[in-house]
Amino acid sequence: MASAARLGNKVDAGLLIGCVVISLVLLVLRNEDKEPIASALRRTAVAPLVSLQRGAERWRTAWVSSEQRQLVADSVALRAVKAQALQVENDQLRKILGLGTRLESGFVPAEALHSTAQSEETVTTLTLTAGSTAGIQRYSPVVAPEGLVGTIQTADPTMSIAILYTHPDFRASAMAPDGTTFGIVYPHRARAGGADAYMLELQGVSNRSVLKPGTPIYTSGLGGTFPRGITIGTIVEEIKTSQVWTKTYLIRPAVSPSRVTTVLVLVPQRVTQGIGNVWGAAVNLDSAAKRIAVAGDSVAKQAAVLEARARQATLDSVKHYAIDSVKRALGVPLNAADSAAAAARGLLAGAGAATGAATGAATGAAPRPQASGGGAAPAQPTASQTAPVVRDTSRARRDSLRRDSLRRDSLRSDSTRPRRPPQ
Amino acid sequence: MNWTGAVRTILVCLILIVLHYTLRPLLAWRASVDFMIVALLIGSVRLRPGAAAVYGFILGLLADSLAVSGFGAAALAMAVVGFSASWLKAVFFADNLALNGFFLFLAKWVFDLIYLLVGHRAQGTELVMQIFVWSPLSAAVTAVAGVIALSLLKPLMEARTA
Repeated sequence: MASAARLGNKVDAGLLIGCVVISLVLLVLRNEDKEPIASALRRTAVAPLVSLQRGAERWRTAWVSSEQRQLVADSVALRAVKAQALQVENDQLRKILGLGTRLESGFVPAEALHSTAQSEETVTTLTLTAGSTAGIQRYSPVVAPEGLVGTIQTADPTMSIAILYTHPDFRASAMAPDGTTFGIVYPHRARAGGADAYMLELQGVSNRSVLKPGTPIYTSGLGGTFPRGITIGTIVEEIKTSQVWTKTYLIRPAVSPSRVTTVLVLVPQRVTQGIGNVWGAAVNLDSAAKRIAVAGDSVAKQAAVLEARARQATLDSVKHYAIDSVKRALGVPLNAADSAAAAARGLLAGAGAATGAATGAATGAAPRPQASGGGAAPAQPTASQTAPVVRDTSRARRDSLRRDSLRRDSLRSDSTRPRRPPQ
Repeated sequence: MNWTGAVRTILVCLILIVLHYTLRPLLAWRASVDFMIVALLIGSVRLRPGAAAVYGFILGLLADSLAVSGFGAAALAMAVVGFSASWLKAVFFADNLALNGFFLFLAKWVFDLIYLLVGHRAQGTELVMQIFVWSPLSAAVTAVAGVIALSLLKPLMEARTA
C-alpha cells in the first residue's frame, strides 16, 4: 500500500516535472517553431473557443458602439435643448433691446433671478442684478417688453428685490385705452396655484363703464408709482362680486413672470417724465399697417374697375365698328341702322372677340385668338370668320353686279345678232 | 470519484471555460475574471496531483494558443497551480465557500506571478504594479466570481457527495 502511494507520488512528480519541462521547452522555442503548434491548436481544439470569443467581442463592440451612439444622440439632444433655450433668450434680449431703444433713456437693465423656484406654483418675487448704485430706488417700476412686471421692494447697492404683480401687496392704478375708465389692479388670488394663479383683477370700475373682453389695460399714471401707458394686460371677463356700485374685471397679464429673465427698471426721473407711447406705439404701427393694407386693397379694386371699364369701352367700339361695317355692306344709311344693328347683333354675338382683331388691326399685328376672357371669348372664332364673310359678300355682290352689267352687254350684243329660226 | 461525478465535473469545467471565452471579453474589465483558474481548481481538487498538473498544462496550452507571445507560460503556471491545488487539497480543503474563495484568490495570484515572471509579459514598475495591484484585484474578482459560480453550480456538484 505504501509502495503504491510512493509510486503514485513518483508518478505525480514525474508528470509535474514533465509538464514543467515541456512548458519550458515551449517557452524557449523560437517563434517560428511555436507558431505551428499554436496554429494547430487554434484550428482544432481551440477553434470553438475562438469563435465564442469572437462572438463575445462582437457583442462587446456592438454594445460599446451603441453606447457611443447613444451618447452622441444625447449630446445632440442636449445641444438642441440648449439651442432652443438660447433662441428664447435671444428673442427676449431682442425685445428688451427694442424696448430700450423706444424708451431711449431713464431705465436700468437688470437680469432677473427667480427668488422662488420655477417649479413652485406662483412666482411672487424676483431678485434683480442691479441696485441703488445704478439708480434703482424703492417702488421703481419693473417692466418687460410685453408690459408691467412689478415694482422694486428693496434696493440694495448692487442688487434689488422686486415684487411681481402676483404678490399680495401689488397694486397699480389702471385705465382703459380711451382714458375714461379707471380702476385699481390687484393680484387675482381666488384660486392660487390654479390655472388663473397669474391673473389680475381690475377693481373699482364704475358701473357706467363697460369693458369688452380683449380690451387692453394700461397703467394710468395716477399715484406716481407707475408712469402712464405701461401695458398691464387684457380684459378677460367681468367678475361677479358683492360690490354693488363698482365692477370688477379679470385681466390676463401681458407678462408671464416665470419666463421673465431680463427686465428694465425705470428710474424715478423717467417715471416723472413719463414714458410717452412706448407700449401703444405697437398698436399704432399695427393700425398703420392695417391702413396701408386697406389702401392697397382699394387701389387694387379701383384698378380692376378701370380695367373692366376699358374692356367694356373696347367692346363697344368694336361693336360699333362691326355694325358700321355691316351697314356699309348692306347699303343701309348709318343714321338709320336699327334693323342692321339687330342683324349685326346676331352676327356679332361675340363681338368682344373682335377686340383682338381690332387691336391687331390698330397695331398692325395679326389678331390672336384668346384662350379665355369671359363670355366674349367663345364667340371670337365666329366673329373673326363672320367679318370676312360680310366683306366677301359685298365684294361678291359688286362682282355680280359687274357680271350682270357684262351679261347685259353680252345680251345686247347677242340681240344684235339675228336669231336662228327654230327648226 | 465515480463516472457520474467525473462527467458532472467535466461539464462544470466546460461551462466555466466557455464563460472564460464569452463573458470575460464581454465584460472587458481591467481586473478581469479568470474562469480558467476556477475550472482548473474545481478539476484539480478531484484529481491526483500528477493528473491535475497535466490538466493544468492542457488548459494552459489552450490559453497560450490565443496569446500573442509567451507560448508555454500559461501552461507552466497552470501545471504548477493545478499540481499545488491537488496537493494542498489533501492538506486543507473543505466545503467552505470562504476557504474556497481564498483558495481561488491564492491560485489566481500565484498563476499571475508565474505567468508574468516566466512569460516576461511586463518589466520594471509595470511588473510591480501588475503583481501587487492588478493581479490581486483580478484574483479577488476571480475569487468572488468563482464563489458565485460554485454556488450556482452546486446542484451539479452535490451529486458527487450524494
